[in-house]
Amino acid sequence: MGGFASLGVNLPLLVVFVINFIILFFLLRIFLYKPVLKMLDERSKRTKEAMELAEVTKLEFEQAKVEVQKQIDKGRQEAQSVIAQAMQVGERLREESRQEATKQAQVIIDRTRTELQAERDKIVEDLRREFVNISIMAAEKVIKETLDKEKHRKLIEETLQESVVLKKN
Amino acid sequence: MDRSRLKVLALFFIPVLILFFIGLVFGPLGSSFLGKEPPHIFKVPRPYVALPSESIFHIGSFSITNTLIASWFTMVVLVVLSLILTHKMKLIPGRRQGLVEVVVEGLLNFVESVSGKKHARMLFPGVATIFTYVIFNAYLALLPFFGTIGIHHHTHGHEKFIAIFRAANTDINVPLSIAIMSFVFVEFWGMRAIGVFHYLSEFINVRQLAQGLKELLTGKLRSAPMNIVVGIISLFVGLLEIFSHLTRMLSFTFRLFGNMTAGKILILVSCFLIPLVFTLPFYGLELLIGLIQALIFSGLTLVFGTVAVAPKHEEPE
Repeated sequence: MGGFASLGVNLPLLVVFVINFIILFFLLRIFLYKPVLKMLDERSKRTKEAMELAEVTKLEFEQAKVEVQKQIDKGRQEAQSVIAQAMQVGERLREESRQEATKQAQVIIDRTRTELQAERDKIVEDLRREFVNISIMAAEKVIKETLDKEKHRKLIEETLQESVVLKKN
Repeated sequence: MDRSRLKVLALFFIPVLILFFIGLVFGPLGSSFLGKEPPHIFKVPRPYVALPSESIFHIGSFSITNTLIASWFTMVVLVVLSLILTHKMKLIPGRRQGLVEVVVEGLLNFVESVSGKKHARMLFPGVATIFTYVIFNAYLALLPFFGTIGIHHHTHGHEKFIAIFRAANTDINVPLSIAIMSFVFVEFWGMRAIGVFHYLSEFINVRQLAQGLKELLTGKLRSAPMNIVVGIISLFVGLLEIFSHLTRMLSFTFRLFGNMTAGKILILVSCFLIPLVFTLPFYGLELLIGLIQALIFSGLTLVFGTVAVAPKHEEPE
């Protein structure tokens, strides 16, 4: 060991240095590596969890978006159908009311016509009677009681019956 | 370049240059060229290099050397630093915690990149301890009180200066102790990863020889000689393997010891020849060398450890 000794190799000192190193090794393990590695692992675990959570949340969000879109579409469709129905109903109602109105108008027209007819008939009747009377009076004046009244009337009635103008229709 | 930067450069470099020339002219180098005695304040003591560490005091028969004190100093600094830096760790790190996390995570990534994730956690503490111990020994030795504060020792009539702190890496016992620990780590990792018996059988490989001998005795003469020859060769290879594991320690030791001692001598000589600022670049160089040596020591340990934990080839049946 002559050569090594001149370099300074010294067995007790070497042993002490080895022990030193072992002590340092354990001290650093306890005070440095363990807490720091624990913290690093904890953080990477948390990060992983957070990322997974974010992934899940994103997925859920996508699903919710699709769901909402579906609901909106459904609502729109329903609204569309409600509107269509309402329009149909409205159309029907309008049609019904139109028909009703037409019917009523017809009724009114018919009644009016009937009344008018009756009125005219009455007027014609009155007119005829008047005319008969006037004719009789005129004939009386002309003929001067050559004929009896009853015979005369009959004659005129016949004449009127034949006439076209005053015929009842 | 704008004015303010020019100003900084001038403020820094001109005094440095002046100091350099003063040192050059009045220091031992300039004085010997000019043939004059250097002025009193520039009389630097002749650099004295002692390879063995010097003892400061004795406890019983065991002498406490200046390198041992320096290595204790390193240990104290490391432990106190890690206590301060890992105090009240939080999930969201501050600057203090960020610093230590960067260092530890960097080392862990280094270990993982070489050995893979599977064994990284097993190899990490050893490799990291070697790295931090070597680099702190080297860097703390650059502090001003290393090699300067000491006692004058009278032996055999002449006076000798003994510094209280001396760079721990320049004592051959320190690199040797780290190398021994590196060897122990590598063998321990190997045994733990692939089993004691399996690991040792790589070095003392008598299986094939025993099989050959058995065949010779049972009369299978055709395959016996081949097995015996291969068996002897593998036994020899195992011996070589043992030898290479042991010589690694020597190369570890002398690499670190040589580099650190050379660095120390370089600084001493540069400081002696041209006093004042000439030695500054060498300090920068020493910072680099300290990092490189720490990386080499821990890196090689890591590589050897990775080889040791790797599953060996299947034995031919």
